[in-house]
Amino acid sequence: MPRITGNGTTEGLEAIVEANRGKPGDLLTILEQAQQQDPRKYLSESTLRYISTQLQVPLSRVYSVATFYSFFSLKPQGSHVIVVCRGTACHTRGSLALLNEALARLGIREFREEEENAVTSPDSFATVRTVACFGQCALAPVIMIDGKVMSRMTVGKLVAILEKLRKGGGV
Amino acid sequence: MAGNEITITIDGRNVAVDPSLTIVEACATAGIKIPTLCYLKNVSQNASCGVCVVEVEGAKSLVRSCVQKPTPGMVIKTFSPRVIRARRTAVELLLANHPTDCLSCIRSGTCELRQLADTLGVKADRYPKYKKFSPPDNSSEGIVRDDSKCILCGRCVAVCAETQTVHAIAFTSRGARTRVGTFMDRGLAQSSCVQCGQCSVVCPTAAIAEKDESREVFGALGDPALTVVVQTAPAIRASLGEALGLPPGSLVTGQMVAALRRLGFTRVFDTQFTADLTIMEEGSELLERLQKGGTLPMITSCSPGWINFIEAFYPDLLGHLSTCKSPQQMFGSVAKTYYAQKAGIAPDTMRVVSIMPCTAKKYEARRPEMDAAWDWWKEHDADRVPPRPFYDVDWALTTRELARMIRMAGIDIASLQEEDFDDPLGRSTGAATIFGTTGGVMEAALRTVYEIVEQKPLASLEFTQVRGLESIKTAEVPVGGIKVRVAVAHGLSNARVLLDEIRAGRSPYHFIEIMSCPGGCIGGGGQPVLADLERKQARNQALYREDQRLAIRKSHENPAVEALYREFLGKPLGHLSHELLHTSYRPRPF
Repeated sequence: MPRITGNGTTEGLEAIVEANRGKPGDLLTILEQAQQQDPRKYLSESTLRYISTQLQVPLSRVYSVATFYSFFSLKPQGSHVIVVCRGTACHTRGSLALLNEALARLGIREFREEEENAVTSPDSFATVRTVACFGQCALAPVIMIDGKVMSRMTVGKLVAILEKLRKGGGV
Repeated sequence: MAGNEITITIDGRNVAVDPSLTIVEACATAGIKIPTLCYLKNVSQNASCGVCVVEVEGAKSLVRSCVQKPTPGMVIKTFSPRVIRARRTAVELLLANHPTDCLSCIRSGTCELRQLADTLGVKADRYPKYKKFSPPDNSSEGIVRDDSKCILCGRCVAVCAETQTVHAIAFTSRGARTRVGTFMDRGLAQSSCVQCGQCSVVCPTAAIAEKDESREVFGALGDPALTVVVQTAPAIRASLGEALGLPPGSLVTGQMVAALRRLGFTRVFDTQFTADLTIMEEGSELLERLQKGGTLPMITSCSPGWINFIEAFYPDLLGHLSTCKSPQQMFGSVAKTYYAQKAGIAPDTMRVVSIMPCTAKKYEARRPEMDAAWDWWKEHDADRVPPRPFYDVDWALTTRELARMIRMAGIDIASLQEEDFDDPLGRSTGAATIFGTTGGVMEAALRTVYEIVEQKPLASLEFTQVRGLESIKTAEVPVGGIKVRVAVAHGLSNARVLLDEIRAGRSPYHFIEIMSCPGGCIGGGGQPVLADLERKQARNQALYREDQRLAIRKSHENPAVEALYREFLGKPLGHLSHELLHTSYRPRPF
């Protein structure tokens, strides 16, 4: 019934579903791998529908799980992902300034933190997302860029990293 | 469980209780009512709201009595200052982001949150409001979801997922952003929602409610150019009194008729008339399928939530559905053809309002194919009808909406003299009355099918095997040399059991009755809110009392139905019946 229209390939998804079907926590693992294999690192509606049908898990429950974890994105993500910790320790050590600096440098005008946990820059260069805690509170403030966790971050260091990314470098 | 009891101390009193109960249930048996909010017996038990806390000696923190069970010697305080303070704070936090438009709220008189706030002496506005909400979801015909009034108790999610196995809604997002929502937040109309309205019955606030159309109906009643007729579903007579403050199980048939006349309806008719008609058509259809080798088991088609369910979840089994329209829709078709012609009413100036225990009836009335009367006039006297089709049924109001209209009009139902329905579409039988409760359609059909086939009266009209509120009931009735095997299910999780048997090719039945809501229409989604088992029992008993009281108790003996066939329709399953009384179904992907 579901048509696969996103960038994710049906074959890739099929393999992921078959490899995990019936294992404990299959839904979560499949969602995670499905997002990873998507070129734009997100879960499209057709992907969610396919997984729902295959696992016979109701659509509302698949959606419930996909929106519960901040790791999952239902919108296409940028080429780089910047995760800013907004936990209490990081907040008191200035994570709001880091968040605002990242948003401004990426040309993102509006981010309603109470309502959403991620936003992608208009040029799809990067996605900024917030999380509740990395569990590294002693090293606050903490951010993660393209999977690498960096502690005791400052605005200056962040700006330097963003410039490096712009020039095509890595972290 | 007697003999197994343990002794605990509740508020200084030693009490023997059943240890398999939770503390809240155990306290109830000892006469103490602990306030609850997210907990609802037989529906949800997720310990999220914190309203039912009690103090247990030796426990570090307060205990949620809806999930905790008592242990021998447990010392419980149910209303210490600490307990009251905690409960009050829990409610104040729930109220923090809750709108304060109680005066104009649809649940003004029946809001559990408001009642709790009152009981606990809550001070309003202790916390600042910070949440923004999306506008209400008006996408479906039957139900409105207003996020701003949701307190995330989870009752609707539980009833939708577990009782009904529909899974239209679930919790989405997390933490302060948590909401109850549909897949991709598309709204109920795009979801698997069957509009049964069970969520609106269990919701403690106005976060889920019926789509109120009473204003439109008041408007039509005030328009002198219109003839507005009303039909009342069987279950309304057993619940309208309750909705207006009378004890559960009050039977108010005659007072309801009087109240509807006072509201200004030109004719007060009865859906029970077309319930009898349904039995004639559906009974004949069953016999035809039995004799000619049609698709069996045949399944009843009166409950529009159930129709929505099978169209969405079991489209491969649509051939099992009786092609009979529901009594509500049969009434609309017959009223706007047969009756309009007989009474000399221009069909386009006629409005049909139905009073239903049901939110899905609103959707059913708006199905595009439900314009059989317009089609009929087009064929017979095209000048009498406008070029654009009109619906057979214009508005379907729930019991709750009618109760609101009666209150608004200042009518005191208890003081009204009983009045009779109008002829001819107000004539009915006891068989039609019991349509309103689970097993009733089956019993009514058996009374008629038996007598038609056997050509002799039944020794006893009561088919007790199909009565009562058990999940699935079965019986075997010898009719014309075959043992007709029947089954009755109410609540969609129970329906699934019978449907899965059919799918697997091992269903032993010839005829199945399915009602979407637990208890049948007496427990419908448009009925007075928060119906527990006792209330449903009382409504159920009221309908059987009415059946017993009536002179005619078999559909095929309804003289007005006989006249309808004689003067207009011809015979059951005839050409005109097919045009006006039967329908077809289609898969509903979501």
